[in-house]
Amino acid sequence: MLLALMLCYGGFTALCLSMDRHHTELLGHKPSVRRRHSLKIAGWILLALSLWAAVSKTGWSLGLVEWSAVLMLSALVLVLLLPYRPRLALSLAGLSLLASPVAAFA
Amino acid sequence: MKDGFRQAMAWLHTWTGLIFGWLLFAIFLTGTLAYFKDEISHWMQPEIPARSVSSEASLALAQDYLQQHAPGASRWLIDLPSAREPGLSVRWQQLPAKQGERGQFTEKRLDPQTGTEVQGRETRGGEFFYRFHFQLQMPYPWGRWLSTIAAMVMFIGLITGIITHKKIFKDFFTFRPRKGQRSWLDGHNAVGVLVLPFHLMITYSSLVIFMSMVMPASILASYKGDVRAFFDDVFPASSVPELAGKPGQLAPMAPLLERAREQWSGGRVQRLTVNNPGDANASVVLVRDGADRVVHDVSSAVTFNGVTGQLLSSTPQQPVAMAIAGSFYGLHMGRFASPVVRWLYFIFGLASTALIGTGLVIWLGKRQLKHAKSAVMPFELRLVEVLNIASMSGLTVAVAAFFWANRLLPVEMTNRSDWEVNSFFIVWGLSVIHAMVRRGRSAWVEQLALAAFLFCAVPLLNALTTPYHLGTTLPQGDWMMAGFDLACLVSGLFLAWAAWKMQRSGQVPVATRQRAKPITLEREAN
Repeated sequence: MLLALMLCYGGFTALCLSMDRHHTELLGHKPSVRRRHSLKIAGWILLALSLWAAVSKTGWSLGLVEWSAVLMLSALVLVLLLPYRPRLALSLAGLSLLASPVAAFA
Repeated sequence: MKDGFRQAMAWLHTWTGLIFGWLLFAIFLTGTLAYFKDEISHWMQPEIPARSVSSEASLALAQDYLQQHAPGASRWLIDLPSAREPGLSVRWQQLPAKQGERGQFTEKRLDPQTGTEVQGRETRGGEFFYRFHFQLQMPYPWGRWLSTIAAMVMFIGLITGIITHKKIFKDFFTFRPRKGQRSWLDGHNAVGVLVLPFHLMITYSSLVIFMSMVMPASILASYKGDVRAFFDDVFPASSVPELAGKPGQLAPMAPLLERAREQWSGGRVQRLTVNNPGDANASVVLVRDGADRVVHDVSSAVTFNGVTGQLLSSTPQQPVAMAIAGSFYGLHMGRFASPVVRWLYFIFGLASTALIGTGLVIWLGKRQLKHAKSAVMPFELRLVEVLNIASMSGLTVAVAAFFWANRLLPVEMTNRSDWEVNSFFIVWGLSVIHAMVRRGRSAWVEQLALAAFLFCAVPLLNALTTPYHLGTTLPQGDWMMAGFDLACLVSGLFLAWAAWKMQRSGQVPVATRQRAKPITLEREAN
């Protein structure tokens, strides 16, 4: 579940950064079109990966439930962190993406 | 046309949300608490020790106890302890005095380690919140009907809310705090959209649970009005073998657990029913615990002959339609949930509660702005304000009062559990009066502060009145008891923060508010 959570969080952060307004707020400049596209694709791939991470561990019935739960939790955490601690939100995303390969093989 | 439709939906969202919002807030808050109903019950009956012993050992003790105390009973019911429900409970039914009457039930709680009787204080425990959230403390069937109607309104509210919300994807990650009304709306939208799968699941599944009550037409049509026959078909009762009339010696039942596990590929037994325990034709029905799968199946059971141990029958696989209904049921109850998933359920339940609460606050805030300059508020707005305060902060005070009553009422008091419930409702009623007497903001601050104090003090109260306080439960690793105390402390701190926020936002000078305004207008223009 931790792996799915980290992938979800990373995915949502990428999707968030793929929007002009949030990219400007968080990183201080507008993203290029290519950058926006690649962030969007990366975000969706990460979300799909997290589904795989949840389902491969516990099977479809429990996996889907757990995946929905981490999906909602990660989005909630991200949206609550963004206005108060934007840098923490970003560094958490970086950290979870760095840690997820470790969690995948652990 | 499109705008007209959206406006109509917004109107529906606003008014259904207002009328049922207060009730829905109470239903969702108590329902959220009910996810921890076993843990709450355990905290409220601390005399019943939590022990980890195997099902086999506790079943053997229960069988010994029943053979000594109720050899002539017509039926025994044994509820085995589980990780969440530590008590071993045995019940037996006497042979009815007259043919056709129901025999009298006796219930005892046993210590699963020693087999001796334990006497817990009389309390409804977490069961109170669970029952309240769909029966609303009303006589059958009115409470169920009202809560089901509320669930339908919630469903309407969710759908109209989705239609009304124009920029779901554009505003997906948007939350702008410290902007007054704008922040409340942002919060309402964010918590609504981000946790939408949970809101939809919980609301829709509650309608599935009561579907035979809400939409009986298909049952009445195909069973020609005989609802009983429908339920007999859906939940076939395990066939009870005829009395042999000869006494028989019941074989030890513990080995049957292993055979049931084989039948269910590892599934746990939750309850055993022994029919005619003293007879040569005694039968033992083992009912499966729902906690090991998402899909709930109420009638999964195997039956053995109690004397010879021969397998008599086992319920067939669930048909697909029932498995679908069962999965909604299972998802709603969350009985399969591991501790982590259970906490997530709790958090999302609070999110649903917050969705309703923010909606109520927005309704009032929008209308209050128009009357900000005049000294008196119109009666209808004042009414909404009082109900908002009592239904939200008043309810949290009442929940705390329920826990306090559990520790403060004398253990030997008669009708003790009723008085716990009474104190919940008395305090809730007092909060209405308090909200009427005090001005809006001070009523909010005072009630939130009181709730914060009561919750923060629960661990202290527990330490003063019982030996099961954090000082002993933490070193022992008794996370059920310690978790309750800590959760109360955290809720208390959160409520204190809310009270502080509320107090401060009343003192914000007008100048900063006006400075904030152009920004919001600019954003809305985008």
